[in-house]
Amino acid sequence: MRFSDKFGMAWSSLTKRKLRTFLTILGVMIGIASIVIMMGLGEGLKLQTMEMIEEYGGIRTVEVREGSGQNAGSNGGTAASGDATQYKLTDAALAEIEKIPHVESVYPVLEFQAEMEVGKYRYSIWGGKAMPLDVLKNMKWEFAGGAWPEEDDELQFVYGNLVLQDFQDSRGNNIYWNTGKLPDVDLMTARIYTIFDTESYYASKQKATDSGVTALTADGQMNNTAKPPTPPKKYQVPTAGVLAGDTGEYKEYSWGVYCDIEALKKMYKKAFKNKAIPGQPLRKNGKPYPELFYSSLMVIADDVANVETIQQEIGDMGYQTNSNSEWIRQTEQQSRSQQAMLGGIGAVSLLVAAIGIANTMMMSIYERTKEIGVMKVLGCGLFDIQQLFLVEAGLIGLFGGTAGLFVSVLICLIINKITGLATAMIPVWLYPVSIIFAVIVSMLAGYAPSKRAMSLSALDAIRSNG
Amino acid sequence: MGNPVITAEKVYKVYKLGEERLRALNGVSLSVGKGEFVAIVGTSGSGKSTLLNMLAGLDKPTKGAIVIGGQHIESMSEAELVKFRREHVGFIFQAYDLLPQLDAVENVALPLSFKGVSKRVRTKKAEQMLKQVGLEKYLKHRPNQMSGGQQQRVGIARALVVGPEIIFADEPTGNLDTKTTLEVLHILKDVVHNGGNTLIMVTHDNNLASFADRRIHIIDGEIVYED
Repeated sequence: MRFSDKFGMAWSSLTKRKLRTFLTILGVMIGIASIVIMMGLGEGLKLQTMEMIEEYGGIRTVEVREGSGQNAGSNGGTAASGDATQYKLTDAALAEIEKIPHVESVYPVLEFQAEMEVGKYRYSIWGGKAMPLDVLKNMKWEFAGGAWPEEDDELQFVYGNLVLQDFQDSRGNNIYWNTGKLPDVDLMTARIYTIFDTESYYASKQKATDSGVTALTADGQMNNTAKPPTPPKKYQVPTAGVLAGDTGEYKEYSWGVYCDIEALKKMYKKAFKNKAIPGQPLRKNGKPYPELFYSSLMVIADDVANVETIQQEIGDMGYQTNSNSEWIRQTEQQSRSQQAMLGGIGAVSLLVAAIGIANTMMMSIYERTKEIGVMKVLGCGLFDIQQLFLVEAGLIGLFGGTAGLFVSVLICLIINKITGLATAMIPVWLYPVSIIFAVIVSMLAGYAPSKRAMSLSALDAIRSNG
Repeated sequence: MGNPVITAEKVYKVYKLGEERLRALNGVSLSVGKGEFVAIVGTSGSGKSTLLNMLAGLDKPTKGAIVIGGQHIESMSEAELVKFRREHVGFIFQAYDLLPQLDAVENVALPLSFKGVSKRVRTKKAEQMLKQVGLEKYLKHRPNQMSGGQQQRVGIARALVVGPEIIFADEPTGNLDTKTTLEVLHILKDVVHNGGNTLIMVTHDNNLASFADRRIHIIDGEIVYED
């Protein structure tokens, strides 16, 4: 028997019982659609977490901090560990790390502190970050006003969108938390005076508030016996820009103050000369080192797959390392199990649909017992009969699968429209796979009935009344 | 009588009904020659249909041999029997048993499709056959749009289309009125005499059997006489 004839007969028996065929196809459609939608949701979730990880400092980044060396004892107190600069983050360390295979680039980060006076307000920078200008520009942060400075000659600051909420009045009370109002300062235009030598600044302030009062401080040496310290120099640092975001809208940069690292280094030279820079380690004798140590080095791997080996290698060099790779692995595992769970839910409905197909085929065979018998008596081959039913089941799968795919694409579009995000993403490979899968499942469901049709006794079949 | 096309040698068929054994066929031997029109006549329960099923390879004898065209069909597997029927045998059923979703031409062409004949060729052959049985005006009719007599004529065309050596007919006029019965029997007789096919017909009606060249009377699973 030719395949086209089998196809024709299967087609005619499907179209003969239109309603039943339609209902069976509907079952397959729902089954396939639920699997595809669930997988699409899983995929969407995975992509979203990946995006989130990317936002939180990238999936290819290893953060390196100074270490105490592997064998340097349990205490990581570097300030007390003598003159060893071995595990500190110097330009030499940067160059060394850059040589590690699969490292694409390395850039330094210098965290800084400073005090600011803006008219009658005060502001303390705790988490200021200085980085190379091109790295900052690469972050692609949006600005509410201004932009990154063009050159690294002059120090200019870029403020996060929530910085104003940290402004204090002259007595040290937070304005925003006490009054619920932001101070009337336009960071773009205000005259902002920055004090880098915060230690001297605090000391002079202390002196000013303590004068005339016989306060008992914990360390007696700070008492009135000391000479009044001279207040440090204030620098007027221009504002390059303010980053975008509403009040209460938190972004990774919201509380930060950013500037170019080279410009900051120049400023430090001017502001401190040979004095100790706050946050920088000191020698045993209390004198500062001649060079500046970075707070951290950011190492970018050429591929996500290499992050862990790079991290391992840098760790072996004696530095502390930190990356998202563990988190990514966990997240991937989590999203895989999520996908499996969602797919499982879909699979249940496909299973139900498969049982529906088996049931329909079984019914069809009972109904057509006589017909099958006649065909056998007239010399239709046994395997031809089996294949007739398999083709019929396969056609149900084909139509159900195609319709299911169509419906799930539609539903995913609707879901994404409603949520406004790429919540559900159907991977392209799933298009053909889902249809093939539907056909295979349907044919498997039709196998037992087809076997039954094949083994029907021709004699019994023509005897049965129909 | 020409060369025997079918030979049955001491064929027994025993059904077990609990403890009892029912002998549906009790040592039947017969021989049918090429081009013969033979009627197997008997009452209900005489074993005539059982004999027909044995001869057609639809059922297997408990004991005995059946040889058709030199081949022992009692030892064939089911797949071999199907192939055998496809190539050598035509069937006419009492209830016509046409496929309801197919029209007359498609029904007649059906056995050819089992052989893998292309649609064009088998449609042409089927149309010829239908003309031969006088249904040229009903080519595109479905079974439910035709009378019993017309349906049985489609059934005859379907049996003839493969050019079988033997045609089996089980009470082919059992569902027809007298006038139509005569029409159908005339067609059958013509077919045998013109085409050289062998026809074995089972009937309970002696009058109908009189159309045959030879009648084999069967009672309680045994051939009592021939005439």
